[in-house]
Amino acid sequence: MIEWLADNWLKIAIPLLAFLATYVVGLWLRRVVDNLSRRWRAKTRWQGSQIVARTVRRPFLLWFLLLGICIAILVSVLPPEAKNMTGKATGSLFVLSFGWVAIVLSEQLLKLYLARVKVSQPTTALAINVVRITVIVIGVLIVLDIWGMPTSPLLLLIAVAVLAAALAFRDAVPNLFAGFQLGATQQIKVGDYIKVETGEEGYVTEINWSNTHIRALDESIIIIPNSRLLRGTVINYGRPLKKAKESFHFGSRTHLTELTGLKAKNLRELVDVLKRAPDAIIYYHTHHFLEQHHYLTPEPSNDFAIWVSDALGDEVLGERLASVDTFGFPNLGALRERLVAIIEEYLSSGSNFREAMPGREFHFMKSVSVTLPTAYVVHDLREFVEALRKISLGSLYFHVFESRLRLGRGLNDFSIWLQDSLDESELGEEISRLDPYTYTLEGLRSALIQLIEKRIK
Amino acid sequence: MLAAKLSGKVIQNINSTFSGGGVAEILSRMVPLLQQLGVDARWNVIKGSDEFFQVTKKFHNALHGRPERISAKDFALYLKTTQKNIAELELYGDIVFVHDPQPAALVTKKKELGRKWVWRCHIDLSHPNPEVWNFLQPFVAQYDAAVFSAPAFSRELPIRQFLISPSIDPLSDKNKELDQQTIDSVLAKYGIPKDKPIITQVSRFDYLKDPVGVIQAFELVRKSIDCRLAFAGGTASDDPESDKVLAEVRQRAGDNPDIHILLIPPGSDMEINALQRASTVIVQKSHREGFGLTVTEALWKGKPVVASAVGGIPLQVKNRFTGLLSYGIEGTAYAIRQLLTNPDYARWLGENGREHVRYNFLITRHLKDYLLLFLALEHQEDIIHL
Repeated sequence: MIEWLADNWLKIAIPLLAFLATYVVGLWLRRVVDNLSRRWRAKTRWQGSQIVARTVRRPFLLWFLLLGICIAILVSVLPPEAKNMTGKATGSLFVLSFGWVAIVLSEQLLKLYLARVKVSQPTTALAINVVRITVIVIGVLIVLDIWGMPTSPLLLLIAVAVLAAALAFRDAVPNLFAGFQLGATQQIKVGDYIKVETGEEGYVTEINWSNTHIRALDESIIIIPNSRLLRGTVINYGRPLKKAKESFHFGSRTHLTELTGLKAKNLRELVDVLKRAPDAIIYYHTHHFLEQHHYLTPEPSNDFAIWVSDALGDEVLGERLASVDTFGFPNLGALRERLVAIIEEYLSSGSNFREAMPGREFHFMKSVSVTLPTAYVVHDLREFVEALRKISLGSLYFHVFESRLRLGRGLNDFSIWLQDSLDESELGEEISRLDPYTYTLEGLRSALIQLIEKRIK
Repeated sequence: MLAAKLSGKVIQNINSTFSGGGVAEILSRMVPLLQQLGVDARWNVIKGSDEFFQVTKKFHNALHGRPERISAKDFALYLKTTQKNIAELELYGDIVFVHDPQPAALVTKKKELGRKWVWRCHIDLSHPNPEVWNFLQPFVAQYDAAVFSAPAFSRELPIRQFLISPSIDPLSDKNKELDQQTIDSVLAKYGIPKDKPIITQVSRFDYLKDPVGVIQAFELVRKSIDCRLAFAGGTASDDPESDKVLAEVRQRAGDNPDIHILLIPPGSDMEINALQRASTVIVQKSHREGFGLTVTEALWKGKPVVASAVGGIPLQVKNRFTGLLSYGIEGTAYAIRQLLTNPDYARWLGENGREHVRYNFLITRHLKDYLLLFLALEHQEDIIHL
């Protein structure tokens, strides 16, 4: 044995030295790479840099160990068959260890990014498995190639499978990538209020691998494919504003006109009916013009003023009745008293005993209001202003006019909600100071939106 | 939502004809729309002899305030036909919605059947012949509610009365947008050259529409402004008088080449539409008018309108605001002249008129009012929370 060693020590020493030299180089290189990596991590803000450094460091020495073995065998005096076999074995081990690193790395990066876009657990597991299978298949193909085994049938099979998968997921793939992009760029985040160019809007409640979910103003959930968010224009209003203690449910109102059969042909008859008329009659004749001609007349007169001017030809009293500021009265009873007082005062001066021509009598009517809920429910100022843009004029009318006088709430519903539920006393007061009778309904809508937008800014 | 509240209820509409006249036109649109909203609306007509319809035509005229001789035999025939219809017509509606006087007395069956009954009056009842109204009033009083087209039409009744204006369907052949080629082809068909401003009245050949008065007003205008008159009318199966009126109108027009008396066959809605759109001014010089849907159609087409201040017309034509109101032949002629000589003013009136119709007289508003009416039958209060 000693003799054999004495004769062949060089044959052993050279491969051993080559192996040790490679290992030492590996140790030195790992130090260099560690330093470079530390500097790179310090410079970059990419969260994945830690994962890459940690994952690659672990097998680094193993790769040099394998390289050392490979070099040692190549410089050894082993027969070519043995060298070939060893080369293939170390090559295969290298491929397998590299595949393992690729799997670990991709798993950890996927977990990082999918968590950001709030992807569900099963979806994350599915994505990881897809990556694992892909890496394993590629690794196996390379190993088979190293050992000289035919890979064409397997490649064909894989190509067919990939093609089938691509066809099956052709719609999902763009959404998947868009989801990654949304997560990476953070352009849209859960909690943002967004408005898509196609009209959908609301708070983002979830961004998953294929869709983004938004809660619309009617509390329905709209599911938008991620790719559409990237392709189209999206306005992002940002994070939610202060939430109200109680949400605001928009209602609406419509009405039917009921004929009372009561009529007047002169001022005395008019005032007599006015004194005993139910509130519904007073409300109708001081408000219906507003609804019927809201598009043309910013400040409509009440029906009494119009009739006195047109049918009785009394412009003086007509003007006095027209100038009654409906907004200044807290309830319909007070408004009635004022109208009655004006006419009685005028009558007491003996000014007007004219009668309307037959067919021009004043017909007393009343409004039968039907109130109904709408789908719009809002929780903060952003949702409130966006809902204001969408609600019908009937809804706007209901909350501003009907609720204040007819339902006897004293204030409009918006101001009450802003003050009581959102602690927005100043804004609530500003809105309550707006005289809605001096606007068209569309004009009133714009004025309200402007006030709220100003507050949000 | 309103329609959903009526789920399970059958609305049975009853009138006297499936075609001709405003009521049939409204029902032919309204019933399918109610059905599309999920309301089980149906439509039946009463049957009657020619004599019966002559009597109801007299009733119609008399309720509009025209003097008519109505004998005891006429009343008896009305009651006899009503009894026959009660026997033959199945009254199955949860809400029986009866239109106009012809079937009004069917309500005598209410005592036996119960349910909700509504009388829809499309007629100007502001000055009814007392004899006919006193005959009909006890029937009307048995209903749960009555519906009128204008405030002045309401009467002293012990039942609730509602105001619901009729409407037009903007997508129907009579009101949809038309291209110039179609309009020109209709003018060519009826031999109306486009060389002068066209003044048009569209209405049935009926004394209440004052066709002769329209010709007289036109002749006054024609003295100072070169223009044409197109009087386009049709007949309805429940109006036996129209042939006589047509003959009188043709005689009055004589051989004046600028007066075009057009007898438009039923179902020619697109032709009526084209004639209205080709017009420079549209006139409705009625003595009495239920609501005046032809005025609504004219306003919807953005045309300046001169119309009599009768029936439901003042609800549509706010004087000097959405059109011009007139009270006589001279006044009508004066208003037409004003519009022909002031095209900018005429255009402004037309634009306002179209907006007024958009917000108040389209079928969507009408549909909503009917749904509210059916719901209001179950509620007596002034504020109903759904």
